Amino acid sequence: MSQHTTLTRRHFLKTSSIAGGGLVVGFSLMGCGDTSPALRSAEGTMAPNAFLQIGTDNTVTFYCPRDEMGQGASTGLATLIAEELDVAPWHFDVQWAGVHPDYNNPDFGVQGTGGSTSLKAHYEQLRQVGANTRAVIIEAAAGLLGVNASQLSTDDGHVISGSKRLPYGDFVNAAALLQAPEQAPLKPPHGFKYIGKDFSRIDAMAKATGTAEFGIDVDIENLHHAVVKRCPVAGGTVATYDATAALAVAGVSDVVEIGSGIAVVAQKYWAAKKGLQALEVQWQMPKLASVSTADVKRDYQAALGVADDQALIGSEAGDLEQGFAEADHIVEGEYWAPYLAHAPMEPMNAIVRIENGEADVWTGSQGVGAAQGLVARYAGLAKENVRSHNTYLGGAFGRRGTLTHVIEATQVAVATGKPIQVLWSREDDLQSGVYRPASLMQVKAGVTDEGKITAWQATRVGGNISPETMANMMPALLPTAVGDGTIDWVVGLADSAFKGWVVDGSSVEGLAEDYDTGSHQVRHTTVDHGLPLTFWRSVGHSYTAFAKETAIDELAARADIDPVAFRLKNLTQNPRLQNVVRLAGEHMQQMQVAPGRALGFAAHHSFATDVAEIAEVSVSDGKIHVHRVVCVVDCGIAVNPDVVRAQMEGAVMYGLTAALHGNLELEKGQVVESNFHNYPILRMDEAPEVEVIIVDSGTSPTGVGEPGLPPIAPAVANAVFAATGQRLRSLPLQLA
Amino acid sequence: MISFTLNDETVTTDDTPDTPLLWVIRDTFKLKGSKYGCGAGLCGACTMHVDGVAMRTCVLPVAAVAGKSITTIEGLGTPDNLHPLQAAWIEHNVPQCGYCQSGQIMSAAAMLATNAAPSADDVDQAMSGNICRCGCYPRIKKAILATADKTDLATEAQA
Ligand code: FES
Ligand code: FES
Repeated sequence: MSQHTTLTRRHFLKTSSIAGGGLVVGFSLMGCGDTSPALRSAEGTMAPNAFLQIGTDNTVTFYCPRDEMGQGASTGLATLIAEELDVAPWHFDVQWAGVHPDYNNPDFGVQGTGGSTSLKAHYEQLRQVGANTRAVIIEAAAGLLGVNASQLSTDDGHVISGSKRLPYGDFVNAAALLQAPEQAPLKPPHGFKYIGKDFSRIDAMAKATGTAEFGIDVDIENLHHAVVKRCPVAGGTVATYDATAALAVAGVSDVVEIGSGIAVVAQKYWAAKKGLQALEVQWQMPKLASVSTADVKRDYQAALGVADDQALIGSEAGDLEQGFAEADHIVEGEYWAPYLAHAPMEPMNAIVRIENGEADVWTGSQGVGAAQGLVARYAGLAKENVRSHNTYLGGAFGRRGTLTHVIEATQVAVATGKPIQVLWSREDDLQSGVYRPASLMQVKAGVTDEGKITAWQATRVGGNISPETMANMMPALLPTAVGDGTIDWVVGLADSAFKGWVVDGSSVEGLAEDYDTGSHQVRHTTVDHGLPLTFWRSVGHSYTAFAKETAIDELAARADIDPVAFRLKNLTQNPRLQNVVRLAGEHMQQMQVAPGRALGFAAHHSFATDVAEIAEVSVSDGKIHVHRVVCVVDCGIAVNPDVVRAQMEGAVMYGLTAALHGNLELEKGQVVESNFHNYPILRMDEAPEVEVIIVDSGTSPTGVGEPGLPPIAPAVANAVFAATGQRLRSLPLQLA
Repeated sequence: MISFTLNDETVTTDDTPDTPLLWVIRDTFKLKGSKYGCGAGLCGACTMHVDGVAMRTCVLPVAAVAGKSITTIEGLGTPDNLHPLQAAWIEHNVPQCGYCQSGQIMSAAAMLATNAAPSADDVDQAMSGNICRCGCYPRIKKAILATADKTDLATEAQA
């Protein structure tokens, strides 16, 4: 999956004929006008417009439009095309798509991967691409064989005509001359051969043998390695520096100042690293340098105290006052969630080469177009002169949407004239990154003796994700000609909008949507100390579900009703989540719980998917042990059920790391945690068994990568309550 | 100049003696299967076998392996000739992002070489130095135990 040549049509056809001819199928999805079944040449772009290429030797190449960060998108998307093309997905040669509008995420309108959208967004489109391609091959075969198309069928890349079994490759040259249909009929779900079936991920072999190529593994001629010393406090700038000692280290070739700090360059990584240790830098500290965690908590608390007067109102419905008046019990709680780092296993890295007015960038990112845009902007090139090459991503979880490392590599390449790989250390990753925002939340809710929720008021205090993400993405996505000043102005506008006028949806998503609450109100106050923020697996849901599902448990306890029965009673408007809760509840009743252990329950809707989780927990030596987790998920059609199970397992583990360990502390603006000794990740000896039950609801696919995460922290907290009577309202969970 | 055996071939490097073995393997010998995850011996992504023992090579100076035998994931098995653990990894659909998996497999292979029939606790013990941020632990464990079972059967059949 390593070679990406970006091609004009002429080049491409030449390549094809060298390879012996073949069928290249492109579909104009963005109204670009040309519907030729051969590769459309979009003048002035540098990428092929095509998902499929079928060779006369019957090889099928799939240009995968989404990034593979472990979530299984490449297997899933290949399966969608494969189903209708009628070629087993494991026979596909999967290549990463270059930059072109045809590869945009239909949900986003740009070429980004995230938000648990890949299978959901491409479900119709890629099946249609497969069906149209199969139809045109059949038409060509009918012509060549002199039979009626209705007499032909297909099986795994072959046309079946009577007793003959002929490879698609025999017909692709003829097919290339025909006009493919645009709306060939799609199979009904009961006819699916590959969708809904378990088979090994198509990347399993490469990943089990060390042959999968990640960004960090890419090597090009004369590659130089750069490491960067950044201000220990985000937003600080270089005051002065002395490069003498660093330059004296054997192998160090350059020391250059760039936007984020000072870069040390050498032919080998280790020399650059040693050079960095010798480097002396004085910093101009930003305002954040006066802020420690205690200040953040104090400021959030103060904002919560005046929320009645000052908070922005988000969604609201019904008469809250009346709702509280009708309640027999009112429950009120405050919930804390800290800043978190994503810590994907592969630290950030990027290679940039600039030569003869053209550039190449290699990086595993969640936005291959954004990488292109950043290189163009910071190298002063037009986008069409920048080739953006994707690779496997060694984990992302939202982190690889922010591409500071691409900017750094570009700036170092410009300054030195050398092809540059920038590699972040784990310390850089934890201390110079972008973070899940900290949140202080309050839920005040009323419930009747019969267990009906009558009022729900939820308030959140913290920084906003959306304006910062916009700040990161705009320089990448806008034409190079749009100046930095304009971008700053628009970003500033968005920032103040979310502070003063309108609630950022990402900040409060999940706080109040799931239950029939009679009346509700969501409130938000922005308090932002300046630590950079971004999406983190499941975004706002990663903390709102903790507050909401703990509060629900508290309400159930107050009304003295079984927590599952209580949820069912208050989910009548939300039948899919109610069904998941009911199934999980039935399962829970069958569970044999070992003495000394207790079960906790939580459920949450996110990314269009419904998930309920049961955690079996014990407490000993002041520690919480999670032994078993059952996860019931309705994500519509599970395109590859085993990938869905793996994502639920993984989300549980990721969420458990946050629930049991995850915490970043600020000390004078600096992130204290530096590596895995003080930012511990769940390890095998702490990992529970996970049983995943997929609800077969038969609807189109919904999100899978993230929705397994939100319920786990409250499920564990609720289990701890069941085991000990202690109500834990602060993450990471710690016993009193 | 430091010489050692790398996947059954003798190699020599002029990297400075303090260079961690990981970077010698990746940057000088261009074998990219072993990964950098923490640089501090905390995650296991860089695990290789040094005379058969699983070692964290991000903190192991190359000077320390002079004359020794190093096996990397590339030397353990290849797509055409899989180590039984690699076959089990594929069968059990273990990898997600895959970045940690070379290290996981090298740790598991070293354990199985000395403990052919590990208990689940033995596996936890041996594998807890390897972080998987994607959370593949249940599958890693299943794949190791399944491999041990099969290998056991094979040995018994031969006996
Ligand atoms: S990279 Fe060596 S243990 Fe993490
Ligand atoms: S598979 Fe991603 S870190 Fe293990």
